[in-house]
Amino acid sequence: MYLAIREMRFAKVRYSLIAAIILLVAFLVLFVTGLARGLAYDNAASIQNMDATHFIMEKGSNHRFTRSEVGESLLYRASASAGEENVEPLGVKMTTVTADGTAQKLDVTLLGMRANSWLMPAVTEGKAISPQAPGEVLVDRKLKDTGIGLGTVIVDQASGLKWTVAGFVSQESFSHSPAVFLGEDQWAQLQRKSAAGPKAEAAGGTTYSAIAVKANKTLANKLAAALPAAEIVTKSDAVSAIPGYKEEQGSLWMMIVFLFVIASFVLAVFFYVVTIQKTSQFGILKAIGTRTAYLARSVALQVLLLSTASLIVSVLLVRAMEAVLPDGMPFQLQLSTLALTCAAFILMSLAGSLLSVWKVTRIDALDAIGRAAA
Amino acid sequence: MRHRLILRNVTHAFEDGGQRRMILDALNLQVAEGELVAVMGPSGSGKSTFLSIAGALLEPTSGEVLLDGEAIAGQYKQALSDMRLRKLGFIFQSANLIPYLKVREQLMLVAKLGGMDKTNATERARELLRELGLDHRRNAYPDKLSGGERQRVAIARALMNDPAVLLADEPTASLDASRGMDVVRMLAEEAKERGKSAVLVTHDERVLPLCDRVLYLENGCLLEK
Repeated sequence: MYLAIREMRFAKVRYSLIAAIILLVAFLVLFVTGLARGLAYDNAASIQNMDATHFIMEKGSNHRFTRSEVGESLLYRASASAGEENVEPLGVKMTTVTADGTAQKLDVTLLGMRANSWLMPAVTEGKAISPQAPGEVLVDRKLKDTGIGLGTVIVDQASGLKWTVAGFVSQESFSHSPAVFLGEDQWAQLQRKSAAGPKAEAAGGTTYSAIAVKANKTLANKLAAALPAAEIVTKSDAVSAIPGYKEEQGSLWMMIVFLFVIASFVLAVFFYVVTIQKTSQFGILKAIGTRTAYLARSVALQVLLLSTASLIVSVLLVRAMEAVLPDGMPFQLQLSTLALTCAAFILMSLAGSLLSVWKVTRIDALDAIGRAAA
Repeated sequence: MRHRLILRNVTHAFEDGGQRRMILDALNLQVAEGELVAVMGPSGSGKSTFLSIAGALLEPTSGEVLLDGEAIAGQYKQALSDMRLRKLGFIFQSANLIPYLKVREQLMLVAKLGGMDKTNATERARELLRELGLDHRRNAYPDKLSGGERQRVAIARALMNDPAVLLADEPTASLDASRGMDVVRMLAEEAKERGKSAVLVTHDERVLPLCDRVLYLENGCLLEK
């Protein structure tokens, strides 16, 4: 401690420069992490907002909502097995709509569910939909920017169905497209209008994309046993299977990992060079009786101080940045993610100091004897 | 009279290209308290090896080294490190101070490593610096000191933990004649006053009159001439 701090005080320029580099890298790490989390949330917000833990999907659908088709019979069997209150049908369909009277086309995702279902998000403006008022839908707030307001009628291009916007919800999207929430009856109509699959006819009723389930591990296993023809998918698997999700996250994660590695290497090289420069100094310190462990701790402490100080400043910078970012830029850095990233960053820095610590332990006190300069 | 540094039958040899080279051959030395012994010898005579062995930095091939009555043979690295800290005071050639510590801190570091109580350490550092005429320089960095001042700080640092033995490795090598004399005079005075056994390895014949005994390292043995 004594040596570490005094050396940094003495060689201010040298240590400030390296701190500046670490600060920039740490800032980039936090920023890209925030962006990755933001994009992840923006992409799959509607699914992530759901209280469901698992989704029951058709076998062979590759965990994709848009590919899966489950019938009502499966819903009954799932209810029987998991309890009615833990099971809700969910329809997912990506489509294009236009606001009535305009020519502008909008890509949206239709999410069909029971009006009183626990999947239904809270309304932030307007009123909730109910079975008594068919033809009413809830839409994501982002659609406001395109001129849609309460009472606007939107038309589905594929089926020609018309819905009236009854209310807005916030932060609801699927595969980056804003979500439109339909009641059960509208979803059924939509299914009838679109060319119904052979399975739907065979089942003799409405089909859904998946069945959302609230379940713990035991219940999920029980469901899997009870429904051999279907697949029980965890929420996170379902989210990663959303088109574009994995690709987007993959490239961002690669950047983050590389930044971690770069930070650790920059620190490793800097401290290694400095340590080599100070070889005879360490020799003298060892000769006058300083323990190797003390010197090694001193080097590690310097790395820790530099990376922690740089991290603190970069967290402040990222928070400031977040405040001025435009709304359209998805950025999300929760406290838990932030803490985890910071911890990983500090661990990587310490890994970078290992080389120098090793070097310090190799320096022989004998170097101090018979030397003219330190 | 107590001998605080004793080397008994110390032999050091190593293999060099299949040939056994004898550096020290049954060397004997006893330094009494308050005594300053100068060790002279041509380059390659084994002065550095002698100093390394006396300084608990190197274990001899055979023989015994006693610091204040304590043997250094067969000790672990950490124990040797602690022994150097408490029993030995080193003074090296020219610049051997830590460049980023102020004069006062050079002494405080040693005290801190030795686990000395802070108030005591501060008091002792002040006293030593005053004695060596460095009081006005106590907040200076080593690069702002003259060569003579640096060696005086080195002496103060060596004395900080009240060691039994002082070892100086050509402390006058980079100083002019009168500065060199001053430094060795101080070394002799401190050794006498505080009852240390001091060994000075040197090339500098001008400082010999200040030493109690002069020994020459020849063929691995110390001889009096």
